[in-house]
Amino acid sequence: MSNLGLALAIFGAAIAALFSGVGSAKGVGIVGQAAAGVVSVDPSKFSKVLILQLLPGTQGLYGLLTAVLLLNRVGVIGGTPAGLTVSQGLMFLAAGLPMGIVGLFSAIAQGKAAAAGVGIVAKKPEQSGKGIIMAAMVETYAILALLISILIIYNIAV
Amino acid sequence: MKKIELIAPLTESKKIIELLQRRGLIELEKIQDDELIRMDTRSCINQFEKNREAAQRALVILNERTHMKQSMLDQFSGKREYERHAFGEKTTILENTLQVCGDILENERNIEELKNKISHISVRTDELRKWEALDIPPDFEGTKSTACFIGTVNNRKNLEYITEELKDIAYIETVSAVKEQTNIVVMCHNNDKAETVSVLRHGGFARIGEANGDSVKAVIEKNEAEIQQLRNKIEEYNQDTVSKENERENIEFVIDYLSIRCDKYNALNDLAMTKTTFMLTGFIPEKYSLKLVDELERRFTVAINLTDPTEDEDVPVLLENSKFSAPVEGITEMYALPGKRDVDPTSVMSFFYYLFFGMMLSDAGYGVVMVIVTTIALKKLKLEEKMQKTLRMFQYSGISTIFWGALFGSWFGDLPQTVAKQFFGREIGSLALWFEPLEDPIKLLVFSFGLGILHLFWGLAVNFRILWKEGKKADAIFDVIPIYMAVLGVAPLAAGILISVPDVLKHIGKYLAIVGAVLIVLTSGRSSKNILARFAGGLYGLYNTATGYLSDILSYSRLLALGLATGSIASVINLIGTMPGNMVIKAIMFTVVFLVGHTANIAINLLGAYVHTDRLQFVELFSKFYEGGGRKFEPLRVNTKYIKFTEEK
Repeated sequence: MSNLGLALAIFGAAIAALFSGVGSAKGVGIVGQAAAGVVSVDPSKFSKVLILQLLPGTQGLYGLLTAVLLLNRVGVIGGTPAGLTVSQGLMFLAAGLPMGIVGLFSAIAQGKAAAAGVGIVAKKPEQSGKGIIMAAMVETYAILALLISILIIYNIAV
Repeated sequence: MKKIELIAPLTESKKIIELLQRRGLIELEKIQDDELIRMDTRSCINQFEKNREAAQRALVILNERTHMKQSMLDQFSGKREYERHAFGEKTTILENTLQVCGDILENERNIEELKNKISHISVRTDELRKWEALDIPPDFEGTKSTACFIGTVNNRKNLEYITEELKDIAYIETVSAVKEQTNIVVMCHNNDKAETVSVLRHGGFARIGEANGDSVKAVIEKNEAEIQQLRNKIEEYNQDTVSKENERENIEFVIDYLSIRCDKYNALNDLAMTKTTFMLTGFIPEKYSLKLVDELERRFTVAINLTDPTEDEDVPVLLENSKFSAPVEGITEMYALPGKRDVDPTSVMSFFYYLFFGMMLSDAGYGVVMVIVTTIALKKLKLEEKMQKTLRMFQYSGISTIFWGALFGSWFGDLPQTVAKQFFGREIGSLALWFEPLEDPIKLLVFSFGLGILHLFWGLAVNFRILWKEGKKADAIFDVIPIYMAVLGVAPLAAGILISVPDVLKHIGKYLAIVGAVLIVLTSGRSSKNILARFAGGLYGLYNTATGYLSDILSYSRLLALGLATGSIASVINLIGTMPGNMVIKAIMFTVVFLVGHTANIAINLLGAYVHTDRLQFVELFSKFYEGGGRKFEPLRVNTKYIKFTEEK
């Protein structure tokens, strides 16, 4: 049981990567379905819809980033694992929550917004930049969550 | 952009329009003047469009039949070039090629018809196959003393009814049964014929349709032979279409040729005429105007008048930028073209565009790949101007990527370290000229925010300039300076959470922030007259500024996030490649994983860097000073898909 603190910290990293990854997968999938419909009619629009499809993918990246930073901080990556107390471990677990949970829901919401943006590409291709911007708006909240996660990670006294 | 008015003798109208189309510098405007006559070319245009559409359909069919693949690379391969005089000779093939197109379409119609016939016969034959076991002709009606009924019963209950009712007077044999459908032969003595008929009718018995004395097998064989024959015919038509493959170039030529003529006749529609002269008006970019006017005056008898467009005219926009900024014009176009009071944001963002792109990709190895690929492509391929600009954008971004990658010591992730350690047993340290992001991500995060603040301030400065030039000097000062003070004041305080900041800076920051905030409260409600409303507006302005700039600045954390993601994934790829113990297997495995893994990583992160750089420009920067809403400059020009003119030298 001496490593319970470290185990909790790793759990936190897992949550950050896990949920935001799931959200991104779902979000990218939603856009992909809409995008395939457009491409089936006009294959030349592939590159435009691909950009939209990629947008909800960033939450997964942020989750990965959070996890790597957390693991780096507790020494699992690039160092010797620190001996953490249970309360420290819980703090790291808490640090993973914002990115994990916000990542999950914002990626799905962004996927829906981007899928609607695919409609713009289909009907008014010259306005597709606006579709990208609207979808990118959702991402703000994922970035805020990322920031909070990182702030917590680097402000826990080890 | 200048407004051009041109008057010339009517006899030269077509020649002048042709020249303007080849130069592609003037956007024509329809002249609204009831005094003047206009040319009606609509019937010609209709004819051209009809022919072009036929040619386009024929081309699609031809490409399909000859399995011409349109690949992504085709857009890089450039257009076929024709010299002016060669073009003139080529136009004589028009009639001929349109005839070929007509043949192809005719073949297609015939094939369609034959296919319908085949499917019709197939359905009938399939129905007959259920009767294959029947060795008497399907229209057999009986012998001298017996009656025979061959047909189908559709429902199990009916079948049971018939079997039950007829069991004493008739012989029933089942030929085949599928689900609810049972095919039977019923035989009875002539004496019982009337009763049998009545029972059968009651039981929903339906006689088989075929009736020509042949056995079922013979009919099926005959049908199959016919289908084969029809298929051969289809093949013949197909062959005929395929044999026209060498006409493809001509068809493509004709499509483009007709497009050019359509555009030309559309332009003629915009002209206004008197009995002996015609007049055209339009817009021309200033820097080309004198040269074109000179050429027109040299070649034709014309009177040309160049003027500045008036305020309320709908002037189209053509982006013109330095060599350094022009590659990102496409990004501006994707957002919106500058409107009346806007400055062109292309040159405002270009430096930051390359900077951020490089920082998000931040791998020197990937940067080298980008620069090499784009340089070769730009040298070797004949590209459209737009494509050239895009490639040039990636080239410059690639240089920036090498810069950041070298600072952060990332060359295909940790490739040099991995190879040295795994294959030569040597440890080499970090190659970073500055520091490794993973060693101190917080430092890089703060640096990203710093760059972000710089980016935002740059946008605000542009806004300041626009307002100042418009004479709204008070607005310029009140909208920009307090924000500078507040953000600069809060920055050291916020940075203090993450890194150590000297107390002096924090102290100065505190007062600066307070002054800035007070100024915002005092000034941002200035549009309303009521003092209370002003105060409320001021508070609201402060709230907006605080939340807006907070989220804007935090948004730049993606500079760190995407850069880290590229590097981490690259390092994982190297790690996987060097897992085997045996040296030879390791080398082979490493080569394969290196090529596949890094190619995928470049592709994904290139796309990511592109999208997120765009976003930082669109959402964070443009919102500070840019409105957009301009109309694109669409000159009358040679707008082709397959061919291109070269001017005679």
